[in-house]
Amino acid sequence: MSLTIRRFIPQTIVSIILIIMIIFYYFYINKSVSDAFTTWDKALSDWAVIITSFTLIIGGIDLLRYHLVQIKKIGVKQLPFSGTTIALEIIMVIFALIGLYYSYVYPKLGITITTQPQFTWLFTYLYAPTDSAVYSILLFYIASASYRAFIARNPMATLLLITAIVIMLGNTSLGNLIWPGFLPLRDWIMTVPNTAAFRPITMGVGFGTIILGLRLIMWREVSWLGRRE
Amino acid sequence: MSVINVIDRIFGSRYVLYLVLIIALIYPLIFPIGIPIQISSRTLAVYNYIQHLKPGCHVYMELYYEVAARGELEPNAIALIKQLFDKGCKIVFVSTMSTGPLIFSLLKSSAPDVFANKTYGVDYVFLGYVSGGEAAVASLAKSIKGTVTVDNYGNPVDKLSLLKEVDKATDFDLAIIVSSGTDTFNYYVRQWYTPYGTPLLFVALSVIAPSIEPFVSAKQAIGMLVGQRSAAEYELLVGRKGLGIASMDSQSLSHFVILIFIIVGNIVYWSKRLEAKKAKGGGR
Repeated sequence: MSLTIRRFIPQTIVSIILIIMIIFYYFYINKSVSDAFTTWDKALSDWAVIITSFTLIIGGIDLLRYHLVQIKKIGVKQLPFSGTTIALEIIMVIFALIGLYYSYVYPKLGITITTQPQFTWLFTYLYAPTDSAVYSILLFYIASASYRAFIARNPMATLLLITAIVIMLGNTSLGNLIWPGFLPLRDWIMTVPNTAAFRPITMGVGFGTIILGLRLIMWREVSWLGRRE
Repeated sequence: MSVINVIDRIFGSRYVLYLVLIIALIYPLIFPIGIPIQISSRTLAVYNYIQHLKPGCHVYMELYYEVAARGELEPNAIALIKQLFDKGCKIVFVSTMSTGPLIFSLLKSSAPDVFANKTYGVDYVFLGYVSGGEAAVASLAKSIKGTVTVDNYGNPVDKLSLLKEVDKATDFDLAIIVSSGTDTFNYYVRQWYTPYGTPLLFVALSVIAPSIEPFVSAKQAIGMLVGQRSAAEYELLVGRKGLGIASMDSQSLSHFVILIFIIVGNIVYWSKRLEAKKAKGGGR
């Protein structure tokens, strides 16, 4: 593939779209231009929705290809990990095929595969209990850690521990019986110190996004093309 | 063997902890204790906000969570739906998560009484799964009918009377985001609140809440309901006892058990440390 197709054309498209989006988002020219932009903007959003859907299929195929290559390269050692991933992919395809089959055979049952009773059965009695069980196990890991890891080794760790205890007691009804102040104190921790800590992170992400946009416009960001700079 | 070592052996055993935890979780579910639940000012503020919405208002509700998060989020969602339906509000449900349609069917089956006297298409609509992440959220804000042509059950959206009343973000009096992930909240702040000013209400997992708190503090969301605790409080406020209240005793006792283990863990750690210092002859 030539450099023009693989690099210049995609980058030009991205730059033009980004510049147009910025201009029309921040500047009002006149009503007809604004209406036209709204139409284009909606079309772009629709394209993004369609492309995202297709990326899921491409992602699945790519994952399968990667693991097959890894098994071929590394051999039996790779089997437990890659084999599990491939098995999960096969299950995913089976789920989809069952749904599609019943959608085709019994169209009156619904047009989306998730409304099919067979698919719903698989979800309710296979996926749902597994998902819940895996998530529930987390509690036991956290509880195990509570005894060995949540130790007041130094002043900072002590502060963290006290905060955690206040939040824990504030989140329970039992905490209120011990001291009614736990709930307002939990709310204060969440709204004041927590917000103060998280706001710079959120702002940092915002600035990062702006910088990423500028890098894309100036063709400095090429990682999305799948190649190193 | 010293007392501390005995305590360490007992409390340090995972099996003891797991056993105590399982008892603390299951016992209150079978034999409820009924520990009184105090309603926080934040939950009350959300309740009052919805109470002040005009009767027959239009609400958008995103259901973005998996089965694992159902225990914490579904009771919140049901309590909110009950309050909204009681006020005569109409709800457009949507999910940008692939398991959304099944989550919605589970939600409906958990609260048949809430949906009992409501007509599909008139009082509520479920658009189903809309793929595309943030792009889908942006597209829905611009036009629902322009994004999806049929609802989850294959009905053309043009024929649903509720969707004749609403189409874009500005048509809604409130957008409720029930999500187990952080990104979804960001999407709605960026695509619904910032350009259109649609009031947002967040329903989040306890573990997610700290990261989205800045949006609430900045008034980009009218409020936030967090986890099981908020669910129990909200169920009390709307007068429908559900899973939220039922599991609060379990949560309280299990947290209490963990707390005891933390305290004992610290006592053992410091005792051993002091013992070690003494053994060294009061060294550094």
